[in-house]
Order: sequence, then C-alpha cells, then structure tokens
Amino acid sequence: MSNRRLLATAAIILGLALIAVAIVYWAEPAKSLPSFFPGHESGSNHHHTKHGIASFLVGLACLVFAWFNTGQQKRPTQT
Amino acid sequence: MHPISYFQGAMLGLLQGVSELFPVSSLGHSVILPRLVGWHIHQNDKFFITFLVATHLATALVLLGFFRRDWWRILKGLGRSLRDRGIDPADADAKLGWLLVVGTIPAGILGLLLESSLRSVFASAQSASIFLFCNGLLLFGAERLRRRAPQTADDDDTRIARQVGWRDSALVGTAQALALVPGFSRSGATMAGGLLVGLSNKDAARFAFLLATPIIGAAAVLKLPELAGPDGRGVRGPALVGALCAAVTAYLAVRFLMRFFETRTLVPFAVYCLAAGAACAIYFATT
Repeated sequence: MSNRRLLATAAIILGLALIAVAIVYWAEPAKSLPSFFPGHESGSNHHHTKHGIASFLVGLACLVFAWFNTGQQKRPTQT
Repeated sequence: MHPISYFQGAMLGLLQGVSELFPVSSLGHSVILPRLVGWHIHQNDKFFITFLVATHLATALVLLGFFRRDWWRILKGLGRSLRDRGIDPADADAKLGWLLVVGTIPAGILGLLLESSLRSVFASAQSASIFLFCNGLLLFGAERLRRRAPQTADDDDTRIARQVGWRDSALVGTAQALALVPGFSRSGATMAGGLLVGLSNKDAARFAFLLATPIIGAAAVLKLPELAGPDGRGVRGPALVGALCAAVTAYLAVRFLMRFFETRTLVPFAVYCLAAGAACAIYFATT
C-alpha cells in the first residue's frame, strides 16, 4: 500500500471516529460520557455541545484530506 | 430596568465596531471602558456576553458584505477543488479558500475549548490593560521582524495564495486564539502573522479580515440562542442599538483600514496600545 493510500485510509478512519464522537457529545449528558472523554463529569446533565462541534470539524477536515488524497495525482505539465 | 442602558449600548457598539477590526483588541476595550467610566458592567456578566453576541454578529455581517465578491469567488474555488479532488496551482481562489479553512480550524477549536476558562481567568480591567500593552509589543515586533517578499502578482488574492503556505496559515489562524485573552487583538495577531510570513501590510490586513469573518460569525451564531432566551431579557433593545452602531463603525473601519494599509504600517496602532495599556495599567493600580 502506498504512503498516500495509507494516509487516506487513516484519515477516513479517524474522520469517521471523530464524527461518531461528536454525535456522542451531542446526544449524551456529561455524566453519561465514557470516562476517558474530556468533559466527563459524574452527576452533570450538561451537554458538551462545543466539544461536539470541535470534534465534528476535525473529523470533517480529516475526510476532506482523504478526499483530496484519493483523487488522481496531477503531474506537472512538461514545457 | 435594563442591565445596559441604550446609551451604554450605543457607546459599546460604536467602540466594538471599530476595535474589532482595528488591531487594538475589542474585548480589551470593552473590559477597560466600563471600569474607566464607572459603569457596573463586567465582561463575565451573562447579559453582557449576550449583548456582545449581537455586536459581533453585526461586525461579521459587515465583513461578509464588504468582501462579498471575494467570498463568492472563494466559495466557487472551494467547489472547483472538491470537484477536481485537488487544488490547481493556478487557482488562487481555491488555494485562498483552503488557506482560510486551514487557518480557521485551529482557531475555532481553541476558541470553543478555551473561551470560557480564559474569560474568567483574565477578567479584570487591570490584566486587560497589561495585555493591551503586550499587544502593542506584538505589533511593534511584527513590524520589526517582518519579511519583505517580492510582490509578484497584481491581484491581491493571488499574492496571498502564493505567499502563504499551509503551515503559515495554520500558525496565523492559531494566533487568532490570542484574542481570547482580553487585551490581545485578533486582527492584530493575524496581521502580525501575515507580516512575518512575508505579506505586505495591505495583504496581511485583507487576509486577517477574511480569516476573521467565519470565526466572528460562527462565535456569534453559536451564542445567538442566548440572545433569544431568558439571558436576553432586558438586553435585546440595547443590543439591537449596539449592533446597529457596531455595523456602522465596522463598515467605516474596514473601509478606512484597507486604504490605510496601502501605504502605512502597524506602528501607529502599536504606539496606541503601548501608551493606552501602560496608562490604564498605572491608573487601575493606583485607584
């Protein structure tokens, strides 16, 4: 597997994972978040919407990176 | 009774419109001014944050309107690059668009994660004055250390797209997060960053304003529900007046600055920040 493909695959996996994390942040209150998530707080009903937005944006950026990396590579034109 | 009077709303709106775009820290000024004139408005008061949402939204809309043709070209460039799954080196609009995306993401994330904690730590007018002084040093330092790259293109956006690299854009964008500390200016940090990567004053200002639009707009839109909710009670009228005043001064400020930076530098703003920051810090320490 070439380096480009490997990077793109990693970006797709990371991007999808981050978007899933964003959905968890939006759906679950702080008390129900997995304990390793930043913002987890037992007994708190607060929804970490901003954490979700941040995670979603980085996930989206990873997917865009993968989109560019899996496109056809343009060769510089010879003059 | 309104927690902010209409007069205070108008004054803070006028100040916000100018200081958001001038590299002199709008947040710093909105912390220092109420303390100087003895108004009982604190930057961590819920109603004041709600008021600021309206003035920020007005500033973002003015910036969007002022650069509407550029934004339209940039959006078309982004669309072209997504369709072609690559950025054509000759497509300055696409490159500029992705530079703005790369610069906005770190600033957005840092803003989302650090805003409330930094706001509460550096809430005093005394610390805002000291950071305003530091902002002056930053502007002055950027002018001293700037790189003067040869200007190779006639079009503003082409020059920016050629001169700024991906890493540069991420660093300049990240520098915007400095503005979360009252006293440091968002446009000052981005203009300083632009000068350090070799942009002219005019191009650095243009890049700073383009970079500021999505961040200021998104921050305002995210908090818009607060203006509509219970926190907005008693503030909506003054906030509307403040927003209108901010829109007028923001428009005048961006027009002025785009002409000013064709021939001038950041030095006058650096001098102002150094003088005002030092004077206010001494005044607050002695009263």
